[in-house]
Amino acid sequence: MIRKLFDIIANNAVPAVFILISAFAIPLSGFSASYLVQELLTRIGRNSFLILSLLIPIMAGMGLNFGMVLGAMAGQIGLLFICDWGVVGIPGMVLACLIGTPIAIVLGIFCGHILNRAKGREMVTSYILGFFINGVYQMVVLYLMGWVIPITNPNLLLSRGYGVRNAVSLSGIRTVLDNLIPTVITNSEGAKQFLNINGAGSFFLIQLPFFDGTIRIPLATFIIIALFCVFIVWFRKTKLGQDMRAIGQSQSVADSAGIPVNRTRIIAIVISTVLACYGQIIYLQNMGTLNTYNSHDQAGMFSIAALLIGGASVSKASITNVFVGVILFHLMFIVAPMAGKNLIGEAQIGEYFRVFVSYGIIAIALVLHAWKRNREREAARRSLRGNGGNA
Amino acid sequence: MFIAFLKFLMRWFQRLVVLAALIALGVWLFYIGREHQVFLDNKTLGEFKALEQVNVSVNGGEVSELMARERGVKKVVGPKFEIKAEVFDEDGEIVNTITKEIQIDKIEWPEDFNFNFNFRFSKDIMINLPTLVAGEENFIVPAPR
Repeated sequence: MIRKLFDIIANNAVPAVFILISAFAIPLSGFSASYLVQELLTRIGRNSFLILSLLIPIMAGMGLNFGMVLGAMAGQIGLLFICDWGVVGIPGMVLACLIGTPIAIVLGIFCGHILNRAKGREMVTSYILGFFINGVYQMVVLYLMGWVIPITNPNLLLSRGYGVRNAVSLSGIRTVLDNLIPTVITNSEGAKQFLNINGAGSFFLIQLPFFDGTIRIPLATFIIIALFCVFIVWFRKTKLGQDMRAIGQSQSVADSAGIPVNRTRIIAIVISTVLACYGQIIYLQNMGTLNTYNSHDQAGMFSIAALLIGGASVSKASITNVFVGVILFHLMFIVAPMAGKNLIGEAQIGEYFRVFVSYGIIAIALVLHAWKRNREREAARRSLRGNGGNA
Repeated sequence: MFIAFLKFLMRWFQRLVVLAALIALGVWLFYIGREHQVFLDNKTLGEFKALEQVNVSVNGGEVSELMARERGVKKVVGPKFEIKAEVFDEDGEIVNTITKEIQIDKIEWPEDFNFNFNFRFSKDIMINLPTLVAGEENFIVPAPR
């Protein structure tokens, strides 16, 4: 009984700590409910796709795919091209996805082959691989674009004539997906104000009498995320998905059963990389600015952090973990600076506290996972030895 | 052996078809999603004198008020757009209203105009308003670079 209770606490320690901290930080921040809901909805729409792309490699027993930054880089290359060509709106986003897909596939195959040579050390290998490909990406973007690869838009290039600027405006595709089906939730008073300001345009206006404030919902983004969730649920039931789950349980058993382990692992990484490419495009269309040399780094770290905070581990993650993680992680982002300011009079203290707690907890999650895995191995070894082994 | 070869060919054929469809989709997205700059030029061109005041809107958007010898710029998405020009006299009365639909990729350029690669690729255009209001066909001129 005590052991069971201990297991429940150990399994949910990370989300529990975050819920506890949020419970203290939300009242301290002084933000209204509608503001928090608006911010959270925006961030869920912005980040969920990227985090969902991590699920398939976990299913295949490859741990957290730090190599998702490769996909993010592919997406950014697609975005740079559409910025140069001046393709805007939804066609621009889809074209960026089309350009990014083959790059993501090639990088995914490369990453998958490397990870097959480093079985059991996938996370650290993919993390370092991310740095290596980042070097290649920087060479392409900083030296080849505008010199070997034609870039005709002078606003994209550095003053020397080649290499892309550090910050690129994505004004052509900014929030195009989020505002594709404009939806607003407000009360009757807010609806009147909204109609006065915006006019009776083509948007869904949902009136809730008890709701205080006005929030905009990125409905089209949520529909795409929902479709992605359905895809993951469906994919788990396919032959390939079952193969991946079998490999995740035990590679040697899967190999004995005739499953092509290496090929399936490569497919898992390719799917994850391609989806990370799309996720990064969705993320950046919401942000509206591309930080050419840093955006992808942040994407990988934040997605993995959010997934772990949602209660996932290196070997097990679900769609629920993704949404719990994105809510808790980004709730801390929103409330921590203001809570710190109201508590100590310094917003930076709150931000330091958030960074310290967030990443400290990620470290604890990884240590807990390693400890639990060692304990399970020890238990399995003990059970194999039987009673004689204990003697 | 022969059936295996046929299957191999079929698989590659299917892949090529998918690849061709994706490339075609990319080209179509480029075509419909391209943003063009349309320069509005209210300057004298040949025999057509600059207009006193002309209000111009593109695709029913924001109206630009252009006085004589002024230029404005609008951005349009896709190859087709509609321009509406309202000409005012010295008393501020509307004397003429012109509405014209323009398809950028079907513009007939003068034969003696020297195109370069960048120009063809960018497809920005300039509309000379006095020529447009006069009802002449050659109101589109190459955009300044």
